[in-house]
Amino acid sequence: MKYLGYVLRNISRNPVRSLLTIGSISVSLFLMMIMLSFLSVNSEVSDSLKGSNRIIAMSSQGFAAQVPIRFVDEVGSMEGVTAASPLSWYGGKYQEQEMPFAQFGIYPEKIFDIWDELTIPEDQKKAFIDDPAGCVIGFKMAEERNIKIGDPMPLKGTIYPFDLNLTVRGIYKSPPDRDGRMCIFNWRFLEEGLKKDFQGRQAGNAGTVFLKIKSGTDPAQVCQKIDASTINSDTPTRTQTEDAFVAQFAELWGDMRLMISAVGLAVVVSLIFVSGNAMAMAMRERTTEIAILKAIGFTNGKVLGMVLSEAVFVSTIGGMIGALGCKLLFDVFDISPYTAGALPFFFIPTKTALLGFGTSILIGFLSGLLPAFAAARLGVIQGLRKVV
Amino acid sequence: MSAPLAIQIHNVTKEYKRNGQAIPVLSGLNLNVNQGEFLALMGPSGSGKTTLLNLIAGLDWATAGDVIVDGLNISGLREKELTRWRADHIGFIFQMYNLIPVMTAQENVELPLLLQPVTRNERRRRAATALKIVGLEGREDHYPRQLSGGQEQRVAIARAIVTDPALIVADEPTGDLDRTSAEEILGLLETLHRDLEKTIVMVTHDPQAASKASRLLRLDKGQLVGDETQAEARNRMGVS
Repeated sequence: MKYLGYVLRNISRNPVRSLLTIGSISVSLFLMMIMLSFLSVNSEVSDSLKGSNRIIAMSSQGFAAQVPIRFVDEVGSMEGVTAASPLSWYGGKYQEQEMPFAQFGIYPEKIFDIWDELTIPEDQKKAFIDDPAGCVIGFKMAEERNIKIGDPMPLKGTIYPFDLNLTVRGIYKSPPDRDGRMCIFNWRFLEEGLKKDFQGRQAGNAGTVFLKIKSGTDPAQVCQKIDASTINSDTPTRTQTEDAFVAQFAELWGDMRLMISAVGLAVVVSLIFVSGNAMAMAMRERTTEIAILKAIGFTNGKVLGMVLSEAVFVSTIGGMIGALGCKLLFDVFDISPYTAGALPFFFIPTKTALLGFGTSILIGFLSGLLPAFAAARLGVIQGLRKVV
Repeated sequence: MSAPLAIQIHNVTKEYKRNGQAIPVLSGLNLNVNQGEFLALMGPSGSGKTTLLNLIAGLDWATAGDVIVDGLNISGLREKELTRWRADHIGFIFQMYNLIPVMTAQENVELPLLLQPVTRNERRRRAATALKIVGLEGREDHYPRQLSGGQEQRVAIARAIVTDPALIVADEPTGDLDRTSAEEILGLLETLHRDLEKTIVMVTHDPQAASKASRLLRLDKGQLVGDETQAEARNRMGVS
């Protein structure tokens, strides 16, 4: 600690160089954090959903294939299942905006038992259940678009021919890693509209089915049981836990994951060179000083330690700004409204931020190694000769 | 009875290798220096003055022979041991002052004390005392760039004496100073020698600087060609 003052003074010796080094590290790590987080957010959410006791049944043919609505009641009455609801993607336009937020047809009386992390006042929930044309929206959407209870929520169908003229009956709150911008409406309202105005075209489709199971029930067994019950039907299902369902989105990245990791590694290597070059220049300028330090009794080990500390300190400041600053920024600033619905939520997972911060320490250490060894091995006479 | 020996040089030879060829700098040198002596090493460029100073200060190793300082044969010490020994026993004064530009006068003087087992307060107190001795009281918070050359060299002297070393080595301490500043620095070295009884070995080209020393040594081509006290030198030159 008693050498810290000297280390800090050396960092401020050439402020432009130090700032440029810190800047290059922080900007690169900032971008790296964003890239890595695109990959890790899904995994993070998936991890947080473990133990949620929720499972999702969808067509074995994929999302786009139909799951008949009767299936909801069938699986809802199975042993171990406490609640079931369709989750039907509507994908309509709002005020001519293409898919500005997620819209799902659900069972109002069931959905908040299933998504129990979403909270809504009881009176609003009741109003939603009582009004077939009612809907509930996320608190973020309500805030951003200044929508209040009682306001109209007209959605123009793009997948379904039936337009939904809904009324906001409630606003739910959600944790940061859940979508706070959804609009959920009564599935039956869409169904009746399709039957009444479009001769039942595209009617009867549950989309996917969300189920809540009893705590202590083995989800794998329930999934197996559900799939076994549909295996010989026209619409066989693929049922999985919610965390596995979310994780499959991460898998969609496929080779992109490897590519982004490779780019990240290349960035780290470049930063080692950038930072190492800055340290080498600093040490070259200080050859005499290092010789003086050694003359007055600083051992090779102490010189090595001080130079390494300096490199690590500079790099760590870059890491704090780039990695931890990035996390802080995205914790405070929500970019979702500017992603045209592509990202319902985005955050830098703590693990990713810590990885970035740790990387900055490693960059400092590796970039400081060569200059530090050179400084430690410098002979006093050789160093002093450079002056005279 | 003569004073105990501060430095004993026994048959010391120093050679440098260049392109595989040995270049002798000092050849079979013998020298004894008493404690409390103020020694001036003079001689033409390349005569081996600085090399001898480096050997005495433990900055370099002799090719052959023994260098004994304060009773310890430092020729046998390894680099790490020698570095630690320097921290405790030697004070350095260089021609170009060589202060750390980003540290204040006080911090520069405290630097050697970082290697000693002393508290922060003790470091500050000792550095302040050293600065007072060199007449820089009130300049503790000045950075080297805010000081004149003479003042910078005084800070360097304060840094050299702050650990209270037995031996102070000075390589052309006035070589970069004007006459007035040089006089002040030489006066200060005389004070250290006279009042604090420090053993001082000073390399200089300047006869004026050498005139402050108690003993004059002349080197030429790695050999000791003159060794006289200040009084003997004055008599020889007919100076009263």
